Amino acid sequence: MKFKIKFITLAIISLFFSKLVSAETAPGFGSWDDVLKAADGGQVNVYMWGGSDAINGFVDDFYGVPLKEKYNITLNRVPLAGTVDAVNQVLSEKEAGVTGDNGNIDLIWINGENFWTLKQAQLLYGPFAAGLPNSKFVAWDNPAVNLDFGRPVDGMESPWSSAQFHFMYDSARNNYDDMPRSYAELSDWIAANPGRFTYIRPGKGGFVGTRFVKQIFFELSGGQEQWVGPFNQELYDKWAPKVWELLNSWEKNLWRSGETYPKDNAEMHSLFANGEVDLDFTQSPRGAGPTNTAGTTPPTSRAFAFYDNMIGDFNYWAIPYNAPNKAAALVYANLVLEPELQAAQVQPANGFCCGWGISTAKVTDAAGKAAINDAQNNLGDAAEDQNILAKALVSDIAAEYQDLIEADWEANVLLK
Amino acid sequence: MGGERLKIILSLTPPLLIIITLFFGGILYGLLQSLGYQPAIGKYDINFSAYYNVLFSERYARMFWTGLGLNLWVSFASTFLAAVFALFAALAIRKTFFAKTICNFIYSLNLPMPHLVVAVGMIFVFSQSGLLARFASQLGFINSPGEFPVLVRDKYGFGIILAYIWKEAAFFFIILMSVLQSLGENFEELAQSLGANKWQRFRYVILPLVMPNLFSASIIVFAFSFGAYEVPALLGVIYPQMLPVMAFEFFLNPDLNARSEGMALSIIIALIVMILVIIYFWLTQAKIRKD
Repeated sequence: MKFKIKFITLAIISLFFSKLVSAETAPGFGSWDDVLKAADGGQVNVYMWGGSDAINGFVDDFYGVPLKEKYNITLNRVPLAGTVDAVNQVLSEKEAGVTGDNGNIDLIWINGENFWTLKQAQLLYGPFAAGLPNSKFVAWDNPAVNLDFGRPVDGMESPWSSAQFHFMYDSARNNYDDMPRSYAELSDWIAANPGRFTYIRPGKGGFVGTRFVKQIFFELSGGQEQWVGPFNQELYDKWAPKVWELLNSWEKNLWRSGETYPKDNAEMHSLFANGEVDLDFTQSPRGAGPTNTAGTTPPTSRAFAFYDNMIGDFNYWAIPYNAPNKAAALVYANLVLEPELQAAQVQPANGFCCGWGISTAKVTDAAGKAAINDAQNNLGDAAEDQNILAKALVSDIAAEYQDLIEADWEANVLLK
Repeated sequence: MGGERLKIILSLTPPLLIIITLFFGGILYGLLQSLGYQPAIGKYDINFSAYYNVLFSERYARMFWTGLGLNLWVSFASTFLAAVFALFAALAIRKTFFAKTICNFIYSLNLPMPHLVVAVGMIFVFSQSGLLARFASQLGFINSPGEFPVLVRDKYGFGIILAYIWKEAAFFFIILMSVLQSLGENFEELAQSLGANKWQRFRYVILPLVMPNLFSASIIVFAFSFGAYEVPALLGVIYPQMLPVMAFEFFLNPDLNARSEGMALSIIIALIVMILVIIYFWLTQAKIRKD
């Protein structure tokens, strides 16, 4: 009797949940089974930055094969020179009146500014992210996940992997123990090593530089917590002059005396690789690993992080409003969140550059957990201690700060 | 008579159609966007605020006017110097001598080279971590490569000018060679027999003969260097910034509203070049009439 009641309660609960899940299923589909059925036998056109053979190979091997074997979906990976190409294509399709399922792109690897462009112009399909079964592994309550560059994701993109700002140095030139661990220490380091440091100009195409400056706001103001939440002009006005003052005080000891600054990662890496500066920026949890493998930094490069205020963020998959194979796109976006595939993308041997898209703590099955542990223990010696990174991790803040910092940096540091 | 006319019309139509749809279509579309008309994000108002922002707003005016100054400086300097170099090279080489073919080949070699490649080559050779800087420090002329003078990514645009000279001199050279070759040496020999010295032969015979071609080639080079993006993007600094680079940054802005400013700036660049071309035509026509 008791057993029966328990069973019925369970049944009711599971019914309730299945109802809930189906209510959250992506628009146009009644259930996840509907999605699988519609995707069966089709193709998925994945548009992504194609500049890394390692990433391309990873996608073909780790996603292409299971897509074909488990779901009967053919993966068509379309390499791009830059994500903005896909954004402009969707924009042109919209202007040409291509609607319904008549577009060309099913998925775009995306985040930040490109995502915002498409979302602002209402060119995305969704909200779909919560309707993916593997969405349960995603830490949707974490502002680093549910905000993309400070702008709400609203289920219009689903995470793939993550990144966190920190630094690289060349172990052939410098020692790990001598590296600065805060902006205050960095100031001293710059004064002691004139001409050996620069940072990426905050601005379009140089968001890493904006991030570098944003973190100064956090340190000078005593912590990132007060910056979370809606844009606060008063708070910004209080700290901005002090940030510009600090940056201007560095100027005479920067590379080229601060007369100019590198404008993107590529320029920064080449200055570092050519030995013109001693520090570089990285976003990978594997530190210098990916760029060392790619040859854009010297093979002796290693990573280090400040002990606080290192901004982390996620990158995602988005589906254009006119995607021809929306069901297959959903299956793909769900597949990449499988715990074992997530562990595979973190394993250095597999060549992918990025970190977890899921919260590893939410994985409960044994196989998934084992894969995750194995990957965690395998990051290689070009990576910073993962505990230091985790302790320093903070989320990005409201998007308004981004534009403001870029404009004010130009007026108060570059043109002053 | 009518058939002849039809033939002309028929043969002119395809290229005209392409020019009209691609060129004027593009310009019209750009003009509309620069005036704030962007249906994709639901903006249908026509106004001049993007132009005002680019030209006069506190945010962009300083970038724009310094950028315009740099643009004019880089385009004039590189066009003039490339023309002068090419002229002397062509004059030196046109006389038959043993290495003529080789020299001809070397001078024309970088004509098919993409500007992008030339710009990257400039970085490899002339940057502070480039070949020259490393040689100089190896040989002890300077203590470290960092002491090498700043020749690329400098705020005066020297690196950009150097790249354009390197590239466009070949273009001038080809044009000049074909003119000089078709002229032959009769005029010069005539002048010589009338007692003109070397300088006079150059100044009063050669120069007037090649000037029309040199001038039209200059216009092409000037207009190109004024509106081209890749060389200043690679070899320029972030301030002052040449206008095409600045325009492209507006397009990188995730805020679609900024596309109006980008288009406004592009239209301004196109207008300036067009005005300069018109002035040039007016000048040459006046000169032809005078002659």
